[in-house]
Amino acid sequence: MRYQRVTFMIAASALAALAAAVPVRAHHAFAAEFDSNQPITLRGSVTRVEWINPHTWIHLDVKDASGKVIEWMIEGGTPNTLLRRGVDKNSLPAGTEIVVEGYRAKNGTNRANGRDLTLPNGRKLFLGSSGTGAPADGKDPGETK
Amino acid sequence: MTRWIERRWVAAAALVAFASIPAMSTTVAAQQQTAEQRAKAPGKTKAWTPTRTPWGEPDLQGIYSNRTITPFERPDEFAGKATLTDAETAELERRVVDRSADKREAKGTEADVSRAYNEFWWDRGTKVTTNRSSLVIDPPDGKVPPLTAEAQRRALDEWKQPALRGGGANGRGADTYLDRSLFERCITRGMPGAMSPSAYNNNYRIVQSPGYVVVAIEMLGGTRIIPTDGRAHVNPGLRQWMGDSRGHWENNTLVVETTNFTNKTLYRGAAENLRLIERFTRVDADAIDYRFTVEDATTFTRPWTVAVPYLRTDEQMFEYACHEGNYGMEGILSGARFEEGK
Repeated sequence: MRYQRVTFMIAASALAALAAAVPVRAHHAFAAEFDSNQPITLRGSVTRVEWINPHTWIHLDVKDASGKVIEWMIEGGTPNTLLRRGVDKNSLPAGTEIVVEGYRAKNGTNRANGRDLTLPNGRKLFLGSSGTGAPADGKDPGETK
Repeated sequence: MTRWIERRWVAAAALVAFASIPAMSTTVAAQQQTAEQRAKAPGKTKAWTPTRTPWGEPDLQGIYSNRTITPFERPDEFAGKATLTDAETAELERRVVDRSADKREAKGTEADVSRAYNEFWWDRGTKVTTNRSSLVIDPPDGKVPPLTAEAQRRALDEWKQPALRGGGANGRGADTYLDRSLFERCITRGMPGAMSPSAYNNNYRIVQSPGYVVVAIEMLGGTRIIPTDGRAHVNPGLRQWMGDSRGHWENNTLVVETTNFTNKTLYRGAAENLRLIERFTRVDADAIDYRFTVEDATTFTRPWTVAVPYLRTDEQMFEYACHEGNYGMEGILSGARFEEGK
């Protein structure tokens, strides 16, 4: 009986999903990869950015409480969109200090998504509601120094 | 058994999550491209005499973007209104920008995890590209017609289909990469998904030669080579992920019929029985009026048609070699194993 009810639930949901199918969505669901129960804040230094499809990854050296350096990886957007935003390999050079607020990977590795990325001066990265949101490089008409 | 049932519940929950994606997807990019700024709604323009190729066909060639924030189906609030006034359009655009603003109200929720893709990472633009209230133009109510009873039964069974087309987007789970959607697996968005606007990578390059029209697709890559020389479709037994396309010219319109789909892709419930008719009409120097009609009597109670402006862009095409570093797939599958082990 329980089984039937569950099946019905799934069926109803399947129909809802079909009805709601949209032409626009991301390449994959972040919620399947990262854990909403594990919000994290990382403060560290960019070591490199992997300009890689389908998504970029920012590598970050983060010191733990004992001073030991641990490498973290932060998932970003598709390189194509970044280039169109004016973000390129020079935009986030190695050594840049950033603060990442995001969610840790479900698999327990040192990977996270970057819900908020901020420079030490408080300027947010990659939040493009005004201007491109790219790191200050003079290209963005809406840029605030 | 209990465990199995639990998984099904998880699947159901994931389905509900999937249904909520439209709200998430409304985040937009601030930047606009020049073609959009220049473009007027196709159809409003006065008659335009298309340029022709050296061999006399209407010239569709160029790089186009189909990105838009025009809703796919007509929102209920616009019921009975096929077109929007300038004021309604401005309000729609304002709301999209507002929705994409980063408010972080849902901190600590799955929705917030997903919003790591804020408007910066998207490339949908912030503008409608037509004065119509929906991309669906037929039926006249702007909504995708209901599924047939048979298709509804199939949808109910979709979750227990063999893992041909991936079920990730439908919440089937993460036991194997085969459970994930074809999109997540970097394979294809299928047809007409591959010709429809997405969150980014919305550029297309059209090239013509005598007897062929070629459409290169930026999202997930891939190139459609469409014969226009009158040859017949391949044998019905030969099935392809993107189907088998044949084109011909009707006055200034390229008409493409695509059949021979597999049961591996799924477009709103349609698979191997889909017959897709596309129409490409260049309506001015900067725009192609692109339309497709979905025909599948085993799935939909009537054929239906979508019109999407393809606007010329000064951008280039970028390669999207999706398999290059699809760490996300690894993260999804290993994440599921980790959670099972808890």
